[in-house]
Amino acid sequence: MIRCLIVALLIISFKSYGAIIDVRLEIKSGTLNLVSGTPIPYKVFTQQSGFPNNSDLLIWEVGDQINLTVVNADSVLHGFTLDSYVSFPSIAVSDSSYQSFTLNNAGVYRYYDPINSPYNEYLGLAGIVHIKNVGDNVPYFYWDVREHQSDWNDTIIQAFNPDLNFYTPDYFTINGNSNPDINNDPTARVVGANGSEFRIVIVNNGLSIHSMHFHGYHFISIADSKYMTGRNKDTFPIYPKDHLVLSCVPDKGGEYPVHDHNLVAVTGGQVYANGIFTTMLIAP
Amino acid sequence: MKHLIYILFISLSITTNAQIDYTKLIIGRNTGLKTFYNGDSTRIFGFAESLGEAIDIPGPTIRITEGDSVMIDFWNVSQGAPHTIHLHGLDVDQQNDGVPALSFTVGHMDHGFYVFKAPHPGTYLYHCHVVSSIHVQAGMYGVMIVEPSSGTNVVWNGGEAFDRDLLLTTSEIDTLWHNPDVLLHDTTMGAMIMVPETFEPQFYLVNGITETNLADPLNHHYVGLNEKVYIRSSNIGYMGVRHIFPSSLLAKTISSDGRPLPTEVSSDTVELHPGERFGTLIQVGTDSIYPITTEFFDLNTQNVMSTQTSYIHTSAASIIDLPEPTISVYPNPSHTGIFHITGDLEQAYHIYDSIGRILQSSQDNTFDLSDQSKGIYIMRYQDRLIKLINY
Ligand SMILES: [Cu+2]
Ligand SMILES: [Cu+2]
Repeated sequence: MIRCLIVALLIISFKSYGAIIDVRLEIKSGTLNLVSGTPIPYKVFTQQSGFPNNSDLLIWEVGDQINLTVVNADSVLHGFTLDSYVSFPSIAVSDSSYQSFTLNNAGVYRYYDPINSPYNEYLGLAGIVHIKNVGDNVPYFYWDVREHQSDWNDTIIQAFNPDLNFYTPDYFTINGNSNPDINNDPTARVVGANGSEFRIVIVNNGLSIHSMHFHGYHFISIADSKYMTGRNKDTFPIYPKDHLVLSCVPDKGGEYPVHDHNLVAVTGGQVYANGIFTTMLIAP
Repeated sequence: MKHLIYILFISLSITTNAQIDYTKLIIGRNTGLKTFYNGDSTRIFGFAESLGEAIDIPGPTIRITEGDSVMIDFWNVSQGAPHTIHLHGLDVDQQNDGVPALSFTVGHMDHGFYVFKAPHPGTYLYHCHVVSSIHVQAGMYGVMIVEPSSGTNVVWNGGEAFDRDLLLTTSEIDTLWHNPDVLLHDTTMGAMIMVPETFEPQFYLVNGITETNLADPLNHHYVGLNEKVYIRSSNIGYMGVRHIFPSSLLAKTISSDGRPLPTEVSSDTVELHPGERFGTLIQVGTDSIYPITTEFFDLNTQNVMSTQTSYIHTSAASIIDLPEPTISVYPNPSHTGIFHITGDLEQAYHIYDSIGRILQSSQDNTFDLSDQSKGIYIMRYQDRLIKLINY
């Protein structure tokens, strides 16, 4: 009887909180302007009319019903996978695929093009889905971490896949931006206050391992796809295709850097510090 | 006179900071020379505790006590770039964080004072944060250890006890990054600073040394039989590192980045990415030598680029406080492989090869290494170790 009631309550809560959301992601080709100004061929999944620096960040809530259409607006075959929810193995040029699904489990998920792995993902076709718990009001910041070997993108677009054993990226980005532009991206730039919890969702959509070092504070991992959760650290490695959710309750104000401690990755086009470097601004 | 003013200044600042429990002078320099096992050498930047001390990599290990108010007196004697000290992992406030523009930089012949409270016991790092990609590679880094307020041989208050701790600090050197045109970059504010196009180290360092230098018994870690040892590993290089301990040591990793791990990890392998630190307890038994294998892997390809082996050596004798020699060996180096001993041999001596295997024991005045390969050997007589070169 009690169980029945709980189930009924859950259904009611889904009904009252769950929204119906139409999402139309287009696969587009364009260019990413690196921090040096150099343009490189790039591809994204996006709902936006223009060509963003990064595939869209999708934030939903448990209980939401998603009506997802993925349109291949590119000139070559693509696919779409949202881990645990959606698999469109192939979407022909100018074609689209549709699926409706309800979100049951909170968490951080990746979506990506499963075709020509990992090269299509490397070209930009991978993004973040965050399914939040109902009533989760903690401020979140989102870092889609990547690196780019500027002379590879043209090659891959021309259907030649370079040997991954010779991968030596020369640009490093969060949400498609390098220092100092990361601080102009309100999705990425941490702004908080002493004593107030904030969280950072980090997803590695690149091919390299990154090692994120925080000044000022230790963070606690509340989700980690590779290591045990609950680690209280100042430096968190993140492997390709992995994700992390880090929590911090600042104990002081100030402006504190966060950067990749692979100090090659804080450079961009050989220039210091045009890589993965941003600051957290915490009010006292 | 200058010296006097300086002393006055220090004592003034100490008296104004009435609660400072511990002050440490660290000198930053741009004129180090690092010589490697193969005779190659390269210019380095680095830290030292006194003017007379040569710069080496890593810098001096600083030990402080949990809860103490600490002041690092950083003196830049570099004839060059400004430097800073970033207290990596110590979560100090912005003013003392050592990041140019957000904190302060310390120019040539200036002192910078970093004041902070020693946090949770554990293993931390300190390094320069001025053009960090270049200055860290140049050698401006060292380990800082916070010891528990209840004593030095315990991991934290109420935690496990150990007999001694050992450091495994990893980094790399790409000599291309040590060319003067890289090291001596433009120091004007806002200047565009370029780094080399590639990072391809020639030298993979464990505690600042590599290859045959690690095999040299003079560089082994000496521990007592059946000791419990706390390995403090830290990675300040630009590659991933994997330490692999012999399984007989029952390695158990209990902490990282100055905090306990939520669960202990019983594994012979400890992986560190740039900036990470781990605390691992090992149980030494009665073997004479325990090799530690360290793999350095590329963060882009995950390919292993180098494997280094260092050694834990069980021995009653310490090589730290050597008694005065009562014997001497000549010729040394020896080209014929024949060595002679002067002085009274009261007991047998032992000859070891470079990885610590005993080759011969004798009380004769002459010994012969002509049938051995060329290289470095070690003679142990009483508590004394003598390095022999057979060339
Ligand atoms: Cu410096
Ligand atoms: Cu650091």
